[in-house]
Amino acid sequence: MISDRVKKSLKRELNHSLMAKIGIVLVLAIMLMAMFAPFFAMHNPTQQQLDRAHQPPLGVTQTSEEFRFVDGERQIQEVTIQGTAEHPFGTDSLGRDLFSRVLFGARTSLMVGLFGTLFAVGTGVSIGLVAGYYGGRVDDSLMRFADIMLAFPALVLAIALVGLLGPLTVRIPDPFVAAGLVEGMPATFVFPITLTIVVGVVNWVWFARIARGEALSIRQEEYVKAARSVGASDWTILRQHILPNSLTPIIVLATIQVAAIILLESSLSFLGFSGTTLSWGFDIAQGRDYLGTSWWISSIPGLAIMFAVIGINLLGDWLRDALDPGLSGEGGV
Amino acid sequence: MSQARFLIRRSLQGLLVVWGVITLVFLLRFITPGSPVDFVAPLDASPELRAQIAINLGLHQPIYVQYFDYLFGLVRGDMGFSYIRGRPASGIILSRLPATIELAVAATIVAIIFSIPLGVLSATRRHEPTDYAATTFSLVGISTPNFWLGIMLILIVSVGLGILPTSRRPIGLIPALEMLIFQLQISGIRTWIAHMILPAVTLGTYFTAMIVRLTRSGMLDELGQPYVKAARAKGLPETLVTYKHALRNTMIPIITVLGLQLGSLIGGAVITEFVFNWPGLGTLVIDAIVVRDWPIIQGALIVIGIGFVVINIAVDALYTKLNPRVSYE
Repeated sequence: MISDRVKKSLKRELNHSLMAKIGIVLVLAIMLMAMFAPFFAMHNPTQQQLDRAHQPPLGVTQTSEEFRFVDGERQIQEVTIQGTAEHPFGTDSLGRDLFSRVLFGARTSLMVGLFGTLFAVGTGVSIGLVAGYYGGRVDDSLMRFADIMLAFPALVLAIALVGLLGPLTVRIPDPFVAAGLVEGMPATFVFPITLTIVVGVVNWVWFARIARGEALSIRQEEYVKAARSVGASDWTILRQHILPNSLTPIIVLATIQVAAIILLESSLSFLGFSGTTLSWGFDIAQGRDYLGTSWWISSIPGLAIMFAVIGINLLGDWLRDALDPGLSGEGGV
Repeated sequence: MSQARFLIRRSLQGLLVVWGVITLVFLLRFITPGSPVDFVAPLDASPELRAQIAINLGLHQPIYVQYFDYLFGLVRGDMGFSYIRGRPASGIILSRLPATIELAVAATIVAIIFSIPLGVLSATRRHEPTDYAATTFSLVGISTPNFWLGIMLILIVSVGLGILPTSRRPIGLIPALEMLIFQLQISGIRTWIAHMILPAVTLGTYFTAMIVRLTRSGMLDELGQPYVKAARAKGLPETLVTYKHALRNTMIPIITVLGLQLGSLIGGAVITEFVFNWPGLGTLVIDAIVVRDWPIIQGALIVIGIGFVVINIAVDALYTKLNPRVSYE
């Protein structure tokens, strides 16, 4: 499926770009984290241990004043807690292990990012190809609808849709737990369905525009006319000739969109609209109330989002430079 | 086509889009599970009371009657009454508008002031430390969720250093200016600025990063062009070549992409407002969604949609003015 020429150009670009290498390493690291979270995690990310609440990360010493009852009298005491290797990223206000939560949060972000993008690509590309290939009234009405969609900022539309439709989720069994390979980890993964569909719905327009443009130009080519004259159906032409030839810009945009959708997912989870509590955005929201005392609860999950998005953006830059030097970096939420 | 005709045509198209926005927003209520009555009626309401509430809210009418009622109401500036506050939704929404506009404009100013010089420096000093710093900053900037950036700024600047205030601002720009002009008091405007800095930086960082990227790549393209060589050959100072000739041509793609990215400015404003408890449209819409205050949700979404369409037309007009090669098609 990938031609030798494309492979060569990907390799050449990778060889002289440090950034591309960093991107690949970051993305692979996050994917491994997400996939094998139950193996890397040292605690169940949802298990509360109130006596261990607000423990600082490894290497950090936190001094705070606490009320203690000594001989039935209330006294203010200075308490010093030291971060331990038991909880390398510290714990949150309910004593849940942040390191494990960051690992499992990667699952939510990547799953929503991948499936949301797939949904957007599927809808957008089909609509765009049909509009561009048939042209005329079909094209006009589909593109007017796209204009209306574009009149809403993606995040605003997503907030409204997810907030109003309500968070529908499914529980997917964790294969490692089901196979008995790990113990003490959550048996299911909560996959936010409404959220995934909504982030796809608010992003399909970009793919529709690209696919339409490609279809418009390719349908004039000689080989398409030739295929039509030998009796190929519209469906065959779309699938066998037009789609493969418009793949490059779609792949590049899709990569960048995964990053945009991860940012969108974290924003919606931050607002509490996602329906899952194992998400980087959700943890950042939780930590907001403890900024004065436990700064790590909000800070660390945000760093995780940042590294994931940086990795994917670098990957996107690499693909763009290698596959199509003529493309500019437009699009996004 | 003349510019006037272009603007008229573009405005008519915009009107069509606005109508689509209104229709979509109106239909949103009917795909939302549950009835608005659930959120308005007391928990132990009798069926008769619930029916009465539905009549009061106009929900007993067929959908097309409700639609045309709403549409004709909008033409008169009537968006219905807030379910929760009982006051006209349009008044509530309008009172929140200035805060959002002030935030968006401040963020744009922050972005333009920092990004364009940084992008130019990055391109003219390619492969030097300045360039690496600028490209790293822009990569991190476009990859950071802005709500998290806001929280980190609060953590470091407000909680840690204790310099700037964090939450709900006590005074808007217009009252602050009134204080300055009529009472000759500067304290209002100072409070306003102090409350504006962190939100504006939070919202502006993504755009700063994006424009740095665009300016850098655009400048690199332009600086290799023959006309730049010609300008240098005839002895023009390098500053003039860079800022007058090359930068001017770089502005065209920058404005195009900025126009495309306006949506993320408005979306970013919504979430920035939430982080800083900013009294704008964003917090209004989020609060209204939680309690299903439909007139507010619909009105605010429509105002956001209209604002977006209007700004887009303005960007188009600016674009054709800057780039004489673009015809009004």
